[in-house]
Amino acid sequence: MVKSFIPQSLEEALKIRAEEHAIPLAGGSDLMVQHRKGTGVVPEFSSPIMIITGLNELKGIRTEDDGTVVIGALTTSAEIAESEMVPFFVRKAASLMGAISLRNSATIGGNIGNASPKGDLPQPLILLDASVVLKSISGERTILLDDFIKGSKKTELRDDEIITEIRIPKAEWTYGYYRKIGTRKANAISKLSLSALILAEDGVIKDFRVSSGAAGPKVARSRANEEKLIGKSISEIEGLKADILDTHDTVISPHAMPEWRRNTTRRMLDHFLSEVASGAPAGIIE
Amino acid sequence: MSVTHIDDRITRVDALEKARGEAKYLADLKFENMLYSRLIRSTIARGKIRNIRVPSLPEGYYFISAKDIPEGNKNALKMIADDWRCFADGDVKYVGETIGILVGSDRGVLNKLFDEFSVEYEEETPVISIDDAINNEAAPLCGENNVMCSLVSERGGDVNEALAKASEIIEETIETGFQEHVHLETNGAIATIEDGKYVIYASAQCPFYIRKSICGLLGLNPEDIVVKQTVTGGAFGGKEHFPDVLAGPLLIAESIIKKPIQLSFDREEDMLYSVKRHPSKIVFRTGVDENGNILGSDIKVYYNCGAYLSSSYVVLQRGVFHANGVYLFPCTRIEGYGMATNTFPSCAFRGFGAPQTLFAIETHMDHIARKFGIDPAIYKKKYFLKKGDETVTEGHIIEDVKLNEMMEQITSASDYFRKSAEYEIGSGKGIGISFYNHGGAFTGNGEQAIIKGRLRLIKDGNTFTILCGQTEMGQGFRTALRKIVAATLEVGMDDVIFDAPNTDMVPDSGPTAASRSTMIVGNLGYRAALQMKEKMGEEHAEVEVQYEHPEGHPWDQTTFKGDAYLGYGWGAACVEVEVDKITNEVNVKGIWTSHDIGHPIDELIVHGQVNGGVMQSLGYAAMEKMENRNGHFRQSSMSDYVIPTSMDFPKQEYFFVDNPYPWGPFGAKGMGELVFNGADAAYVDAVERALGISCTKIPIPVEDIEGLRK
Repeated sequence: MVKSFIPQSLEEALKIRAEEHAIPLAGGSDLMVQHRKGTGVVPEFSSPIMIITGLNELKGIRTEDDGTVVIGALTTSAEIAESEMVPFFVRKAASLMGAISLRNSATIGGNIGNASPKGDLPQPLILLDASVVLKSISGERTILLDDFIKGSKKTELRDDEIITEIRIPKAEWTYGYYRKIGTRKANAISKLSLSALILAEDGVIKDFRVSSGAAGPKVARSRANEEKLIGKSISEIEGLKADILDTHDTVISPHAMPEWRRNTTRRMLDHFLSEVASGAPAGIIE
Repeated sequence: MSVTHIDDRITRVDALEKARGEAKYLADLKFENMLYSRLIRSTIARGKIRNIRVPSLPEGYYFISAKDIPEGNKNALKMIADDWRCFADGDVKYVGETIGILVGSDRGVLNKLFDEFSVEYEEETPVISIDDAINNEAAPLCGENNVMCSLVSERGGDVNEALAKASEIIEETIETGFQEHVHLETNGAIATIEDGKYVIYASAQCPFYIRKSICGLLGLNPEDIVVKQTVTGGAFGGKEHFPDVLAGPLLIAESIIKKPIQLSFDREEDMLYSVKRHPSKIVFRTGVDENGNILGSDIKVYYNCGAYLSSSYVVLQRGVFHANGVYLFPCTRIEGYGMATNTFPSCAFRGFGAPQTLFAIETHMDHIARKFGIDPAIYKKKYFLKKGDETVTEGHIIEDVKLNEMMEQITSASDYFRKSAEYEIGSGKGIGISFYNHGGAFTGNGEQAIIKGRLRLIKDGNTFTILCGQTEMGQGFRTALRKIVAATLEVGMDDVIFDAPNTDMVPDSGPTAASRSTMIVGNLGYRAALQMKEKMGEEHAEVEVQYEHPEGHPWDQTTFKGDAYLGYGWGAACVEVEVDKITNEVNVKGIWTSHDIGHPIDELIVHGQVNGGVMQSLGYAAMEKMENRNGHFRQSSMSDYVIPTSMDFPKQEYFFVDNPYPWGPFGAKGMGELVFNGADAAYVDAVERALGISCTKIPIPVEDIEGLRK
């Protein structure tokens, strides 16, 4: 049998987490698959579990005064996909996760905690410099998601902590790009994804970011590479592009299908930069 | 109820119970004191078994293996040959080969015991691919050269002479991969004893095959075992012979334990340890003159059969007989080789060997046409078979061939010729076209010589009961046969009963396979109903009919000469795509098909078959990749072995030509496999044109397209 708890409040959940080190189970769409033991047999977990699905204080989306969007860890992909408060990149990624039934149960906290290289939400969240709020009975800490996810299936989560919130600082952008290539057109796991944004004011690039998902053990982003374009004018993109594409290629490390993943990543980023350079109207680059 | 007419739109009789979740599938059945079981399987592809370490079994738990087959009985499942062992003994020939069956009451305990099992092997170098099998003559699995079965078909004179006169010989090798059936319901069976007889409940296509296959294990006759088909959630050929592989070990266990025993695969087991479509390698040497006219084609067909023959020889025959496509060349020679390898045995899969060679010839023809700057549709049309033409088995095409009319339907609906001319090669847009056929029912005179199908119709008052061995597996035959009989009798569908077969209760009408059910058994139903019509005044009446082969269509099963099929289904498909050159994602813009299935007798079922068959064929070409490394399949779930959704291939426009078949019920011919046989080639043609690439191997997911774009 699995020792399991159903806490009624976050406070109770934190207590159980501290005492029993129970694994938080939210939507169950990853954990129940990973721990299945076959038809008619109860799944097996090495630690107790606590079903936190009912904790309303961890649900919902709000915007703070400075424009930070805060998403409760138990908010489902379907809710995120529908919310106009959530930035485009994250909404789009949430809308393309799995099937409808999965999107109705899978949560953002779970998607982050699972830390699969193919996970849909970390990639755009890392693009936006999102942080995670981790709570325990001894306190709370907020760390960048990019630091929280250490590698494939590895995170900084301590065994007395629960992910409570995801905080996305206000991001301004003039041009945005998001692509997920799945194993098929719907109900698909990501084969590769890429997000990019450029903030331009009077022809000068104030911000440039690019992140790649499913192209290595964790989401790949190079701030040093991004800085090569920041402060430059749009007209300089063409001249700098080759170096930026080459450098981004060095930060991804695809294991399987390396040729396609590298070439497609390069073509996607090339397309985005070329469209911006050639005077595409502001907005989403298709 | 009002009288049912053959062209009425009928809601399928099994639709509601399945949609509501009320249908009881194998895994839903519970018997008192029922035990569960798991197969202990080989974890290596080839080697000797040194030691099987059986964990200490709690009371009421059993491990049954080859040693438990009573002495004097052959450790073999009698499919077409009897080479497939019920239990591996002494050595193993493929990953997943059954070594034993573990039985007990608690599935959690079975899992634990399963994990504690260990088998020590002395490993040998396995033969995995067709090329391995061709090249590894040092330690062959089978004979001296790994050839498990072979045949040659030729017509039109000496192909070498024809090729000698050619201005150019176009050599090309086309390959296709494994394909998994992904029937929604996984494989499962239950063995028990009822009224002193062994009973097998099974999710299966062919109940009579099971009892024939397993009875010898206990020295019994087929009639000593009852097989009851349970509601079957899809099969596609994967439950034609494969249920025998579950039923054999279950029967031996049952003979010892004598309690109901269930064996039901979970999805991962079903993916990793079940039969697949034969991978193929087809080598063409086609001689052409300076204008690209074909003088003759020399074709070698290799199928990867896996470790046991099962149905492979028959699959290979069908592959060879369809290798020439829907065309008549001045001369053709086809050699077919079934190669033995250490992979899971390949077996029946919708199309039964025809899809591989049809894909190959279509793609080969496209390549020749484009090489000579001729539109593939125009090029292929020159060679269309017509009534009376000689086939590659030196038989003849018996029916009117309406390919020209079908081509007209799909080319005008799709605006093919305009698009074909306007979309430049490599422009990202492409339209492709293919033509195909499928010989209905068993090859040659197999219906008469081997099957001799029988069907009985019983009248009790105003109720008519059909007794035959045909199974419903999702294709709609329960509805179709009731409709044929009701329409012939001029009664309502509700007055006709046709339940899942029980081999003790029904005559053997042959397997539910080979697109034969409507065409052959449907016609038995029609003939029985016609005879019954003479007895409508009687309170109780019975009629039994047996298959009769039409006169004047000889077939020699030793030389493979004669009329291989008494009726073909014919097909034509157009697929239009736009390929994203950034990601290689293919967006299908339109799918147009036309099929000649004789006279279509049930609009809804026919529509379902066309939609499903075309989708499955497009999945085969586009995304369904099953790789095998050292004998292990690498894809084990529905998230890494991906089958299409309606989002991938959204819109299908379909046409039929009415071409009543004289020996089918109300003019119907087989269609279940035909609709799988050609959309793949049209898709690949379209993608090749869109990207300016040449593709000689399917499937082509995005990463494989990348390799072709270099």
